[in-house]
Amino acid sequence: MAEDLTKRFSGLTAVDRLSFEVEQGEIFGLLGPNGAGKTTTIRILASLIQPSEGEAYVGGLSVRDDALRVRETIGILTESPSLYERLSARENLEFFAKAYGVDEPQTRGARIRELMEFFDLWDRRGDRAGTFSKGMKQKLALARALVHQPGILYLDEPTSGLDPKSAKDIRDLMERLSQREGQTILLSTHRLEDAERLCDRVMIINRGAAVSVASPRELRQRATGAHVVNVGLREVTETLREAAEAAEGVKAIEVKDGALSVTLASEGYTPILVRGLVEAGGSIMHVVPQEVSLEEAYLKVIGGE
Amino acid sequence: MRWSKVLLVFRKDLSEVSRNWEVMAPMILVPVILIVIIPVMVTLVPDSMSGSGNANLMDTIFPNLPEAVRDTLSPLPEGLQMTYIMLVYFFAPFFLVIPLMVSSVISSDSFAGEKERKTIEALLAAPFTDGELLMGKVLVSFAPAMGVTLLGFTLYTAVVDALTVGRFGFLLLPNLTWLVMILFLAPAVSLLGIGATVIISSRVKGFREAQQLSALMVVPVLALLFGQAAGFIIMGPGTLLALTVLVLVADAALFGVGVSVFNRERILSQSH
Repeated sequence: MAEDLTKRFSGLTAVDRLSFEVEQGEIFGLLGPNGAGKTTTIRILASLIQPSEGEAYVGGLSVRDDALRVRETIGILTESPSLYERLSARENLEFFAKAYGVDEPQTRGARIRELMEFFDLWDRRGDRAGTFSKGMKQKLALARALVHQPGILYLDEPTSGLDPKSAKDIRDLMERLSQREGQTILLSTHRLEDAERLCDRVMIINRGAAVSVASPRELRQRATGAHVVNVGLREVTETLREAAEAAEGVKAIEVKDGALSVTLASEGYTPILVRGLVEAGGSIMHVVPQEVSLEEAYLKVIGGE
Repeated sequence: MRWSKVLLVFRKDLSEVSRNWEVMAPMILVPVILIVIIPVMVTLVPDSMSGSGNANLMDTIFPNLPEAVRDTLSPLPEGLQMTYIMLVYFFAPFFLVIPLMVSSVISSDSFAGEKERKTIEALLAAPFTDGELLMGKVLVSFAPAMGVTLLGFTLYTAVVDALTVGRFGFLLLPNLTWLVMILFLAPAVSLLGIGATVIISSRVKGFREAQQLSALMVVPVLALLFGQAAGFIIMGPGTLLALTVLVLVADAALFGVGVSVFNRERILSQSH
């Protein structure tokens, strides 16, 4: 939970009175352009830097007063993989497992093996991290963040700089991870597909300040404004058009590509519209709510700033 | 401070350093040149010890030697006197270059190198205190520096004694001066190199830059070398103990500044 979190660097306000709460088990996205203050927010919440004003609690611990315990509690994937390239993949994980207090050798060994197998890195465990591709490095860094089984995970731009295939692999892995390990995840990204696919809620931040907090779907709906549904019919006739116009809650109708594009007062009027069309003899092929993409919603929010 | 965490950082850095040839090459080559090659040349080519340049060196150093040493050397031929002065006095300051150079090279890699390779953020995000990180990194610079120095001293003593005992009839090393230098002054000098590098590393972005700047720390040691050659100073146990105290005071001052610049926020703000 963050309350009025603010960070200034020599006159520049990087984070400006951010307040938000992340529920247990939720994937919460920080979405914003480069330089919006996402990394600074993550660093404050990881007790790496102190806020200039405000306070944040992570698992009930103050980021100001319990810095060491906050760092023990969380797992973090930093913006760059931060791997020791002269050490082997396994040595990297061994070091961080010990650093995070996984002291019992058998438990540590088993956890490292489990993660390396999950990320398809076990066969390369003895190879230096410096010999890995970008995607493999990112997987190893993700394994490092998870090695002590943290309840809370921070992921700072996890797919940044990766080719589309590697980015998709990482997204798939994160999705499987959140399902398998049930962590609370704070995801910082400027990639809308990451937010769309992974996040329960996103906070759009720009110039350090929160612009909007909602689920990706709510964001799209808000940006769309009115509720529009596309009704695909076997044949669009004047009778059907008139039936649609007569239905309760219908504000406007347009015939588009052999379908009716109907603007409703709210989503709740959709069944009434469908019933009216069926009663008028229409054969309905599909009913699809028409929403702007998250990208359009995002650009609208950022642009309206 | 949790020593298990300090040793964890120490072992990790040691593994990294030992696989970096930019660090290992000077750590091996410089001591080999100073400890083996130069003394062997001086000992095996005694004629080179009696030139006019060396006669001047004799004139400046010999009168400043302790009386007991002058009495021991007086009956010996000039070439042997010069060999003694070179091996026991003139080369002594080189043994201060070793801990200084080794500690500076390793700490440049450990502090500035970690920033340059962008591994610092994950390390800082791990549950170590600033003190544990700093101590681990100081130890990884200090321990190998002293290890190389002690090993070098043992090797130098063995080489010098093996090559000279036949001609002198007694063992040149170890003596009290060298023991004071190796056991007291060298550790203090090593800490001086580390303290300076911690501060330099907080200001620069990369390993090489830090290494080049910390190499300037050799200047005071060279001053000692030339001061001795010019007859201004002779390295006896008393002088070395006084120097040790002076260097320890400088260590304390440098580490005071070093601790204040070694904090997460400062390091992160300079690593981009």
